[in-house]
Amino acid sequence: MNLVKQIDDISVKMGNRLVYDYLGDTNTYDDLKKRSDSLAFQIDNLGLSKTTPIIVYGDQTFNTIVAFIACVKSGHAYIPVDEHSSEDRITMIQDVAHAELIIALNDLPVEVPNVKVITSAKLKSIFNHPIDYVMTHPVDGDDNFYIIFTSGTTGKPKGVQISHDNLQSFLDWMDNSFGLPEHAVGLSQTAYSFDLSGMDLYPTLTLGGELQAIPREVTEDFRQLFNTLENLTTNFWVSTPSFVDICLLSKTFNQEHYPELNYFFLCGEELTHSTAERLKKRFPDAHIYNTYGPTEATVAVTAIDITDEILEKYDRLPIGYIKSDSQAWIDVDGEQKFGENGELILCGPTVSKGYLNAPEKTEKSFFVNNGQRAYRTGDVGMQEQDGLLFFAGRKDFQIKMHGFRIELEEIAHYLNQLPQINQGVVVPKYNHDRKVSALIAYVVKQPQLSADDDDLHLTSKLKDALQHELMPYMIPQQFVYRDNLPLNINGKVDINTLIKEVNANG
Amino acid sequence: MDAKETVMNVLKDITGTDLSDKMDENLFETGLIDSMATVELLLNLQDELGIDVPISEFDRQEWDTPNKIINKVESM
Repeated sequence: MNLVKQIDDISVKMGNRLVYDYLGDTNTYDDLKKRSDSLAFQIDNLGLSKTTPIIVYGDQTFNTIVAFIACVKSGHAYIPVDEHSSEDRITMIQDVAHAELIIALNDLPVEVPNVKVITSAKLKSIFNHPIDYVMTHPVDGDDNFYIIFTSGTTGKPKGVQISHDNLQSFLDWMDNSFGLPEHAVGLSQTAYSFDLSGMDLYPTLTLGGELQAIPREVTEDFRQLFNTLENLTTNFWVSTPSFVDICLLSKTFNQEHYPELNYFFLCGEELTHSTAERLKKRFPDAHIYNTYGPTEATVAVTAIDITDEILEKYDRLPIGYIKSDSQAWIDVDGEQKFGENGELILCGPTVSKGYLNAPEKTEKSFFVNNGQRAYRTGDVGMQEQDGLLFFAGRKDFQIKMHGFRIELEEIAHYLNQLPQINQGVVVPKYNHDRKVSALIAYVVKQPQLSADDDDLHLTSKLKDALQHELMPYMIPQQFVYRDNLPLNINGKVDINTLIKEVNANG
Repeated sequence: MDAKETVMNVLKDITGTDLSDKMDENLFETGLIDSMATVELLLNLQDELGIDVPISEFDRQEWDTPNKIINKVESM
């Protein structure tokens, strides 16, 4: 069945049941149905090209998901862009996506030329005029449902195209394999521009459940965060392990205080033994699923319930087994291997058709295997004979910090464009859990810099300059100035030597 | 090791930066510390000094420079 139709039918059936709770501000399924119908009708009337995606510039509020549903009802994929993105993000995405419409829940930070904009004021008036909308052309089959932009090595972001059928396959797995109850109450904490949000948003909608949202401003202020958490009745938790680490700081984050909280889905970065063990101690009866998946294979494709036995058996936790309609294998020089490290390959119905308007990048990472799409993840993994998978790191210089996917070369690219810099690279600093805790830029200055540019001032100047180009989490915390950088035999900056130097004491 | 030295070591470990000449630098505004790094800071202080910060009362403004963190830690 068509997913958009399914969500629409559920919305009608659920009627006055709550679908969204944003810090006590609540909305019903009826609101979702009426608002998305009105907005879809308006989109239909704009005369957009049939396959053009729509940028939704949003936040964690209800109307952001209304906009998503309205887009797919009117047959267009949506591109979620979070309001906390760098100013240039929307321009860089538009350069690739050529969207004809932006739905702006908040004021756009920059002027975007040659595009229609539905502003928040306009949205309000659209929602005030309910329409009897007959859905005739929702996204379906291989049509794109959403497109999520990740960072790209040349500075151009890559738009991962996720089709209706990709998402459907993911949802069949989520809704049926983990014992999630009907009317599950999900946590919406990860930004909608991060594909992990698909793990809370769509299972909740298809199970007739409710989403309880925590916006970023609240996450960052611990006092507010814990006041908010205490009022939640979530039973189905989706977040990065990093966010769990924050919550574990509160002594009352436990089963006794959150008796409804029975399911944890952790994704987006490596789940360490220490985080899993502490969480299991606090919530002994809950299912704690460690899940894994690149955006290119639709949110997540492997999972495992981290039980006491698993904690006992493994120091570095497994990422689980591949979902039943898909395959995963470890490629070592073109051969499938068990028990040794190699590149993790994913194949199956959730694998994306590729990157939007970037055939060369698509060609590099995607291929067809026995008639099914397959994706070279660039992740190094290991597989046991029974299929159990382990994550072992990255092939390239892509890293994860606090759940964000960061390509070090992309940051270096912008660093090297700054006029004060002759040469620069970015190096991750790891903490004792093998997680990246900071980024350090190693820089050779331009010789003609004026004398009043001492290092401290220069650092703050460089950070300011980078803020216009990069997401906040991509800006290096520390700048180290050198007369020269170590080179490897190919004459390139030897990042591995610098990584060792930075992490020597760790 | 006294509280000051421990705090400075922990901060150095988290930020990768020696902050001894930046005792009044705002760690959040300069981006040296974000909410995740705060978690590490608190966990480390707990491990090394045995102090327990009531997280539901955590006010960022009271913890935003090395000097303020040291004062906080010494008062606990």
